[in-house]
Amino acid sequence: MALLHSCCCYSTPPSLPSLLSFRNSKFNHQLFTVSAIRPQSRRFPRKSLFQRLEATLTVEPSANSCTERGVESPKLLLEVKELSAVISESKETILNGVNLAVYEGEVHAVMGKNGSGKSTFAKVLVGHPDYEVTGGSAMYKGENLLGMEPEERSVAGLFLSFQSPIEIPGVSNIDFLNMAYNARRRKLGLPELEPLEFYGFIAPKLKLVNMEIDFLNRNVNENFSGGERKRNEILQLAILGADLAILDEIDSGLDVDALRDVANAVNGLLTPKNSVLMITHYKRLLEFIKPTYIHIMEDGRIVKTGDISLAQVLEKEGYRGISDT
Amino acid sequence: MPAMAASTVPTIFHKTPSASIYVSISPCITKLTTPRTKFRPKSTKTRVLTQPSLTPLATLSDPFVLQIAETLEDSLSSNSSPPLPPLEKLRDTSSQSLLSTPWPSRKDEPFRFIDTSFIKNSQILPISSPPQSLNFLDVPTDTQFPSLAIADGYIVNYSPQLSELPNGVFVGSLLSLNSEAIMKRVFEYVSSFQGDLFWSLNGVGAPDLVVVYVPEGCRVESPLHLKFFSVEGSYDGSKSLPVSNPRVLVLVEKGGEIGIIEEYVGGEGDKCYWANSVMEVIIGEGAKVSHSYIQSQSLSAAHFKWTSVSQETASTYELIEVSTGGKLSRHNVCVQQVGPETFTELSTFHLSGSDQTHDLHSKLVMDHPRGFSRQLHKCIVAHSTGQVVFDGNIQVNRKAQQTDAGQLTRSLLLQPRATVNVKPNLQIIADDVKCSHGAAISDLEDDQLFYLQARGIDIETARKALVFSFAAEVIERLPYTSVRKQVENHIRQLLNPALPS
Repeated sequence: MALLHSCCCYSTPPSLPSLLSFRNSKFNHQLFTVSAIRPQSRRFPRKSLFQRLEATLTVEPSANSCTERGVESPKLLLEVKELSAVISESKETILNGVNLAVYEGEVHAVMGKNGSGKSTFAKVLVGHPDYEVTGGSAMYKGENLLGMEPEERSVAGLFLSFQSPIEIPGVSNIDFLNMAYNARRRKLGLPELEPLEFYGFIAPKLKLVNMEIDFLNRNVNENFSGGERKRNEILQLAILGADLAILDEIDSGLDVDALRDVANAVNGLLTPKNSVLMITHYKRLLEFIKPTYIHIMEDGRIVKTGDISLAQVLEKEGYRGISDT
Repeated sequence: MPAMAASTVPTIFHKTPSASIYVSISPCITKLTTPRTKFRPKSTKTRVLTQPSLTPLATLSDPFVLQIAETLEDSLSSNSSPPLPPLEKLRDTSSQSLLSTPWPSRKDEPFRFIDTSFIKNSQILPISSPPQSLNFLDVPTDTQFPSLAIADGYIVNYSPQLSELPNGVFVGSLLSLNSEAIMKRVFEYVSSFQGDLFWSLNGVGAPDLVVVYVPEGCRVESPLHLKFFSVEGSYDGSKSLPVSNPRVLVLVEKGGEIGIIEEYVGGEGDKCYWANSVMEVIIGEGAKVSHSYIQSQSLSAAHFKWTSVSQETASTYELIEVSTGGKLSRHNVCVQQVGPETFTELSTFHLSGSDQTHDLHSKLVMDHPRGFSRQLHKCIVAHSTGQVVFDGNIQVNRKAQQTDAGQLTRSLLLQPRATVNVKPNLQIIADDVKCSHGAAISDLEDDQLFYLQARGIDIETARKALVFSFAAEVIERLPYTSVRKQVENHIRQLLNPALPS
């Protein structure tokens, strides 16, 4: 029905605000019932429908009602329970029982003071050897994430965009991307791509991050500016694909234009099937990539969860304003 | 050099003071008493200690060295015609210095880390004639560049592309040099440098001089490929060691430009031989020489090489070396600044596998202002019995103000007990200079490994990629694509079985 289409936007193209596309599946049944009851007086009900939509959107549904007809509920991608970790060398505790659940199609943002453990959390999730998990669990797509090697986690669809990507002089970007792509294809039992075919495959992805072709011949991150490094990370995300992309301070060191490019690229990669976990300090990024949830991390645990309004409070009152409530 | 000889005196001439020591050793040669025999003082007897007045230099000689020198000289004297003036001059100066140069021992600083005993304990046989068959030349080579094939020190083949070289350029044997002007220049420069014992041995034993002459203002577009083969060799168990002494003189006049690819191939099998090669490069004002040096000698061979460069004002010298072969490989580089504003870039890569030793002793002497130099030395020791030695000396003397010199050496040790000895040394006397040096010895960087792993690349592939990329930094600098690809493939092949599991 027309009403259904205009409000529901179930299969939206990526350009629309992601919020609507991810939330609609839950409210489908309501839409159905409304239109069935009042088919004639459309304008008013539509408005109230929208209001109802907006109203319900601000509340985080903790439970998932799986009674929608013909609609799959988003799967649980990542479930972290009471995760604690220390630095391997000094045994200093950094994570103190982090709890987090990320479903398909969600955009989460993690904010917090410097030293609260945000980057550590990201690194522990991808298996960085500098950190040791001392307690808790992390399940990814139903499997024990902590038992997997870093390369296994990557092939399973977990991607981390590093805060400070390191240089690898001597390995060109195209070789690196080809290696990583083929490693993934191999694990999935798919045919690998030869260099020429691969080149054809990635040329359009370069456009997505607004980078020139010649960058492929340069060595990985060698002599790259901050913006170029971050865009390189997003390019890798675009090429390798990920079910859960963790973006560690993707906005740091980027100018306004670069940030817009990166954010557009990330938005372009979002689908109802994949999720993003962003670590950031500033509201600016959140204006481009709209989060479903915002978590505040303090002293190695998530202390508060909210929506975009939380970011506004943070901006005005700082972390102290958040921790007092 | 002569000063060191004094220490060997007591050990060699350890006889009663009144005894006389006869220096000549091989009796069968006495019939060749041509005036050229420099190693047998005619009146025969020299005395030690009690009567120092008679031929004092001879008393300091190392008999082993003299013996080699004699055998070298004799192998050449079978050539009936008298040597050309430059060769004569070369042999004279070299033999003179040999009289007072002992065989290096581990106590001599320049040879502290390498063991030359396997040469010393062998019976050294100079190769006195070019190889009979030219089968080794059948190996398909990239024949796009003008090239010379030199086997055991003798030129055996001239490629047809040599005729396409610009007018005035001469590439070939000294014996076929017709131009008097060039001959005169060659005479001026040949052996104007003082090297070590091995330099002098080459001077005495070189059967021929390969001359590469570039006239003033001439820019040679395509690079010149000098391919050195070692045909004669002995096999396991044999105590004999055939020695060849190839020698090249590159003379580039003012404003000239040339690229040289110097390649040493060991051929099939693990032959045992000793290649003792020397290349002198004289670069005129504003001239440019790009020197690619690739060494893949047999794994049982000894390879000693000298590269002596003299740079006039505003000249450019670029050396890119990739050495992977030889049981004992020693490269001595000496770049002497003869005028200001020179540009020097040395990039070297050594790969040491099982029972291999690679040694690079380099010396940059800056005596004039505003010189610019950069040196990058990278080495990988892939086996517990492999070793690399690096001694990078840079002398910035008093008149070399505003010199900008940088040196970096990075070593990758892939297995326990793999050894590297690095000694970067800068001797700076001038006070308005910018000099830096750095040395790092490590395994692969964890951060880089993790980055690759985090992108789904398994640890083995990641290690391989990073080890190769370590080498790639130098290999990338080879200016000619075909050469670069060939070297890349060779290194890849060598690195794959050598990686630790």
